[in-house]
Amino acid sequence: MTSLLNGVRRTNSLIPLLKQMKITFSTETVQAAPLAVNTQKVSKAMKAYLERAQEHDNFMKAQTIEFQIGKRHLANIMGADPENFTQEDIDEAIEYLFPSGLFDKKARPMMKAPEEIFPSRKAAEFDETGRPFHSMFYTGKPNFFQLLHNIVAEIRKAQYIEDKMIQRGRLPAETDRLDMTGFAWLSKTDLEKILVETISDLEYNNFLNTMNRLAAQPAAFKCREFALQYAKPLIDQSKISEIPKPQFDENGKQFITTYECLRKTARADVTIRFPGTGKVTINKDHDITYFKHVQSREQVLFPMIFINQLGKFDVEANVEGGGVSGQAGAIRWGIAMGLRSFVDSDVIEDMRVAGLLTRDYRRRERKKPGQEGARRKYTWKKR
Amino acid sequence: MLGPASKLALFRPTICLVSHMSVYPKNYIDPIFKKDQQEALKTSGEHLKIAHIPIKAARNNDTVSVFHDDVISKFTNYIMRKGDKLLARDLLDKSFEQIKRVQLEKYNTAKTEEEKAKIQTNPKEILHQAIENSRPLLQLTPIKRGGVTYQVPVPITINRSNFMAMKWIIEAANEKERTIHFPQKLAWELLDAASNQGRVVKRKQDLHKQCEANRAYAHYRWS
Repeated sequence: MTSLLNGVRRTNSLIPLLKQMKITFSTETVQAAPLAVNTQKVSKAMKAYLERAQEHDNFMKAQTIEFQIGKRHLANIMGADPENFTQEDIDEAIEYLFPSGLFDKKARPMMKAPEEIFPSRKAAEFDETGRPFHSMFYTGKPNFFQLLHNIVAEIRKAQYIEDKMIQRGRLPAETDRLDMTGFAWLSKTDLEKILVETISDLEYNNFLNTMNRLAAQPAAFKCREFALQYAKPLIDQSKISEIPKPQFDENGKQFITTYECLRKTARADVTIRFPGTGKVTINKDHDITYFKHVQSREQVLFPMIFINQLGKFDVEANVEGGGVSGQAGAIRWGIAMGLRSFVDSDVIEDMRVAGLLTRDYRRRERKKPGQEGARRKYTWKKR
Repeated sequence: MLGPASKLALFRPTICLVSHMSVYPKNYIDPIFKKDQQEALKTSGEHLKIAHIPIKAARNNDTVSVFHDDVISKFTNYIMRKGDKLLARDLLDKSFEQIKRVQLEKYNTAKTEEEKAKIQTNPKEILHQAIENSRPLLQLTPIKRGGVTYQVPVPITINRSNFMAMKWIIEAANEKERTIHFPQKLAWELLDAASNQGRVVKRKQDLHKQCEANRAYAHYRWS
């Protein structure tokens, strides 16, 4: 590359190179710029860029070849057909050959196509004379600010539509709004990937604010397509976990056992039987008076009171470890999880919204050195 | 009165200046477990939005039991010392028992039906009434202007006035002879406050009088 640029033919040699790299500007740009015509020079910025691009290109080519060879090797090791060895097979093989207990998935060994591993780079943002294409080039983040401008253009569009509606004597209805239910705006990292630019927290906040402004427009229904480019669908929370089918015991009663009901340091197994009489058995030979505290008894009955089925289920719980409220909380969670098998999906959603199906992971916060407790500081006296 | 308002921070951006201490990620919202609040969600159509949001676990003093009362649970927590809720609840229950006894005695000694109808025998209602009667509307805040500190009357929020009422009742009940037990004294204070007399109501009226006397300084709130 350097040898090419050192030669007299540098301008001529650049053009096929640029074409090969699919950069979206033509030779006309060069001729149109009088400076370039006069001096026949390529700017330093362009030169440096071309060098970097070439370097990156060569690197990616080498990486791709390496990846292909590695893939074939891996296929041979696994005794599979190297021609039809897919990414899924690679992941499986890596997991088998290099088992890793590391928590973060990104930290585990992986083998992926170089395009996925190495971040994509921006194409040249300026022409051969060093003149930037984008008017906001010198902001340093042209794509981000262009996005903000685009959002504002969409807001103007929505306002124009609203004005037209009002001129025709019709106020925008609720259906004319931009319904973003079930979607959330892209996270900062996702947005950065799309923009190929790193943005600060404040800038991300500006993006969110502008997007929210768009979503708040009374007649923004036509901006849906635009908005969805920068939103991702949320998962329906009630469909996350599978609900087991109840089994039948020797008396012909349905029952469900939930194992590993945890809360603080308490641990419980909870079986609920239907139909029942509301009997609660704790640790085989206690009833609900196992808990001296009324609050804990209320906790055990909470799920059943909530679905208005108190006295229709029998509860058998084995609980160990932890304190009083921890044990009650563990049993409450077990009962709530078991009840899902006996009620319809609407009630399950109600229980979820009531916070009965969420595992409570809160633990006692540790005492910190130099402090009186977890948060409280020692009394400070100046002298 | 003290019900937790459901806060839906859906697309609300936040700038975090301090580290996030909760075990729940920020997108988790508080549980909505009361039947009427859930109904309200469904009528407003907000439940469709919530369907995509994870929920925090209900806390271990939350319940939908008919015996549960927000005010009483708050009051219990204010009585509580060093996390001994069992004792706090016990004290309040005993105090309710005392109130019930006193009121039932009044009820049974009442001659006519009219008199009987006037007597409130429900201790919960008496607690509510007592708090309502001892709630201040204003408080005095020291504000420094030109080197002089003025006691400036400022309006307070409902939460704050509830807190002050409950605090005053408990303080009044704690000021007692050694031979009298806390539940007994608390019962008397509650009964007094419920009938708009006694030390707590007087304290409220005194504060209001002070505020009235210092009304000339009210403008220091904003100038």
